[in-house]
This record gives sequence, C-alpha cells and structure tokens, in this order.
Amino acid sequence: MSGAAPTPPARRRAVAAGLASTVVVGLLTGCTMLPAPPPPVPTSVVPSEAPRPEPTSTGDLSPDGFDQAQRMAVRIRNVGCGALSTGSGFAIDDHTLLTNRHVVADSAELQLSTYDGRDVAVTAASTAALADLAIVRTADPLPAAPQLADADPTVGQVVTVIGYPLGGQLTVSTGEVLGSTTDPLNENLGEVLVTDAPVEPGSSGSAVLDADGRVVGVVYAKDAEEHSFVVPVSTLRSMLADSSAFAPAPTCSR
Amino acid sequence: MQPDDLSARDDDQPPPRVERPTAPADAAADASAGAGPAPAAIVLPPGTPLPPGLGSVATDPGPAPARPRRTGILVLSLLLVGVLLGAGLLLARMITVNQAWQEASADWEQLARTHGEQLATAQGQLDATSSELESVRSQLATAQQRITQLADEKAQLGDTTEAQRQLADYQERVSQAAGNVAVALASCIDGQRQLIGYMDEADRYDATQLAGFRQQVETLCGAATDANTQLQRELTR
Repeated sequence: MSGAAPTPPARRRAVAAGLASTVVVGLLTGCTMLPAPPPPVPTSVVPSEAPRPEPTSTGDLSPDGFDQAQRMAVRIRNVGCGALSTGSGFAIDDHTLLTNRHVVADSAELQLSTYDGRDVAVTAASTAALADLAIVRTADPLPAAPQLADADPTVGQVVTVIGYPLGGQLTVSTGEVLGSTTDPLNENLGEVLVTDAPVEPGSSGSAVLDADGRVVGVVYAKDAEEHSFVVPVSTLRSMLADSSAFAPAPTCSR
Repeated sequence: MQPDDLSARDDDQPPPRVERPTAPADAAADASAGAGPAPAAIVLPPGTPLPPGLGSVATDPGPAPARPRRTGILVLSLLLVGVLLGAGLLLARMITVNQAWQEASADWEQLARTHGEQLATAQGQLDATSSELESVRSQLATAQQRITQLADEKAQLGDTTEAQRQLADYQERVSQAAGNVAVALASCIDGQRQLIGYMDEADRYDATQLAGFRQQVETLCGAATDANTQLQRELTR
C-alpha cells in the first residue's frame, strides 16, 4: 500500500520542489523578459559618406557658362577681292573646323572669330569637289568640338541649327526634318535633307544638331519657302574619311 | 483525506491516541473512497509477540508526524526567502535597465535636437545659397548675353573695318588710275600742243623728225587712253 501513493512527507517535498522550480523558472523568465540595457548612444548619426543626389539638370557646366553648341560655333569672314561675305562653321577638333565650300571660296583672306569674340588665325582651307563642304585649319585651338552622329536624322526628328545668320549674333534655332531630296543646286552628290529650321544668308556652314548635341548635318542653302537644305552627316563622314576629297580652296589676288 | 488537511488539523489538536482497534471514520471514508484500507493500530499487551506482517508500527507511535511539518515550514521559509530575494534582484535589475533606457532616451533626444538644429542651419544656408545661385545664374545669363553682344559688335566692327579698308583700297586704286589718266592726258595734251606748234612752222623742221615727234605724241595719248581704260575698269569693280 505505501508503494501506490506517496507518503505525506514525500508529497510535501514534491510540492516544495515544484514550487521552488516554479519560482526559479518565474525569476528566470522575468529576467529574460526584461529588455536588455540600451546600447551606448553615438555622438553623431550623420553618415560619414552622405548620399549625393543626382542633379536634376546638367546646367551650363562649361568653363564660362556657354554650352557646347555655342562654344563650337565659329564665324567666318571671307575677305575677297573687292567683296566681303560672312558664313558660319563649327569645330570638329581642336584645330579643324567645317563649313561650306561657297563660304571660303574665292577669298583673299579668311578671318575667324569664336562665340566670345576671340580671333582665330587660319593656316589653310580646302574644299570638297563633290559636296558643298570645306575644311579650315586653324593655328589657334578652337574652344570645343562636338561629336558626329552615327546616322542621318529621320523625318520628323527635331534638329537645332546654330550659326550666325546675316552675319549677326550667334543664334540658335530649331526645326524639324521634313524629308530628303536631290540637291537643287547640284553641288552635292546624293541626297540632302530638308528642314524647316529658319536660316538666313550667313547661316551657311551652320551645324545641325540632334537632341543629344551631335552633329547630324551642315546647312548650305535655303529656298523661297523658308526651307533649309542640309548636307547629311553620312555625306560628311564619307568626305572626311576620304583624304583626296578635299583640295586647296581657290583664292583671289587683290 | 489529503495529507495537507491532516497536517492543518494536527497543528490545532494533539496527536491522536490510538485507543480502539476499530478503524476511524476517516479511515473508513478513505477505504470507501477506494484508496485502500488504512493500516489499523492494534494494542497488544506487553510482551505479546507481534504477528507476522504488522512490523513495528504499533511499537513507535510518538513524534513521527511532527517532523514533516517542520521540514515543510523550513522549505516554505526558504522558498519564501528565495522568492523575495529573486524578486528583489529582479526589481533592482528592472530599475537599472529602466534608468539606462531613460538615459539613452534622453541622449537620443539631445542628439536629435542637435541634428535638428544643424538641419535647420543647413536648410537656412541652402536657401541662402540657392538664392545666391539664382542671382549668379541671372548674372551669368546677363554676362553671356553681353559677351555675345560684344562678340557681335566686334564682328560687325571688323566687317565694317574690312569693308572700309576695301573701300579705301578701291578709292586708292581709282584715285591712282585717275591720276595716271590725268598725267597721261597732260602729257598727251602737251605733246599735241607742241606738235601743233611744230606743224605751224613745219618748214623749219625736218619732216622725219616731225613724224617721229608725232609718233611720240600718239604714244603719250595712247598711254592716256590706257590709263583711262584702267580707270574705267577700277570704277566697275
């Protein structure tokens, strides 16, 4: 009979042990449920390398605030034999600029000036026979040079023309490519582009830029309907790639 | 009946004496509850040998039930002390942790206020700088426009200068040509006047010499004609 049920002292010990265990477990649980002490507070939470937000606009980041398109433009004065004319051009590298053949032809002297009025000395000029294009070499470095686009602009593409219409101030105008046609002046091999960008005499040789500022053509003529004609960049590239395409420009003697 | 009930009742009453061989009511109740029959106490005369199986239960009836009570009290007391000690430690721990969190919270608040002040200062500086930037941008735009105007003025002046130089060259060429015409004409006229005089007194001069002089005068007048042609060419350029 004593093996079937605990005797009173044994039961008391069991109860006491149970209570003790409960108390110990309770204390341990209470200790573990307490939050740990806080970590030390830093003296500063400013990150050593702060995130730099991307600028919302590129702005005018050139050395003098003029953008690339303005800095590459060059005004050309053709001092002929009893004649004077002006045209536009643009740099394609540090000492080379591109313009039209008829801008530099029959000159006794070529005078260049940049967007900020600086004069640039000319060392040589050469013209292309198969396109109304000319290359002028300079003794002084040119301020900036753009990139040539890889392909001709498509119909409807917005283009920007920058040059010196009427020999006046540097002017930026925009237009849209209307299509392509054969050269009405028969001065260019292949087709030329037609745009509605306003140009004037003196705009000849102006760079035609796409939205990314790359050259997609060179203005060389206009018609009575205010359409401007542009030598496409594909022709430009092919001419520049052919070293024999350019010959010394014809001059006049005073 | 439970053992605790028994102990509680034992504290109030003296230990029961076993007087009768009959089973008490509790034992009977326990038996009736199915817990098994309680051991019965049997009083035997001294010297009576115990029957086998009864052991020595009836021979040790004294203080045996009081020992578990003291043990229980001791255990409970120790347990109570332990509980109080643990609770005290736990409370001390809670107070310590609470103070630490309060201090940390205050430090964080101070840090936040410091950074807030710095942020406010930086925002103020940013506003001022933005305002200055706008002003500088406006000045830059004005300067750019002015530079473009000056460049154009210089270019126009260069054009004008070049045009005037060409005009001066033209006028110089025309004047030179006109001067040449005048000189040649004067020579022609002088020669012709002199030739007329010679012709009026032709008898006094050799006919061959007169013919030679006439040829010279015609050459002079021809030079005047050439000079005039050059002048006309310059005028038409």
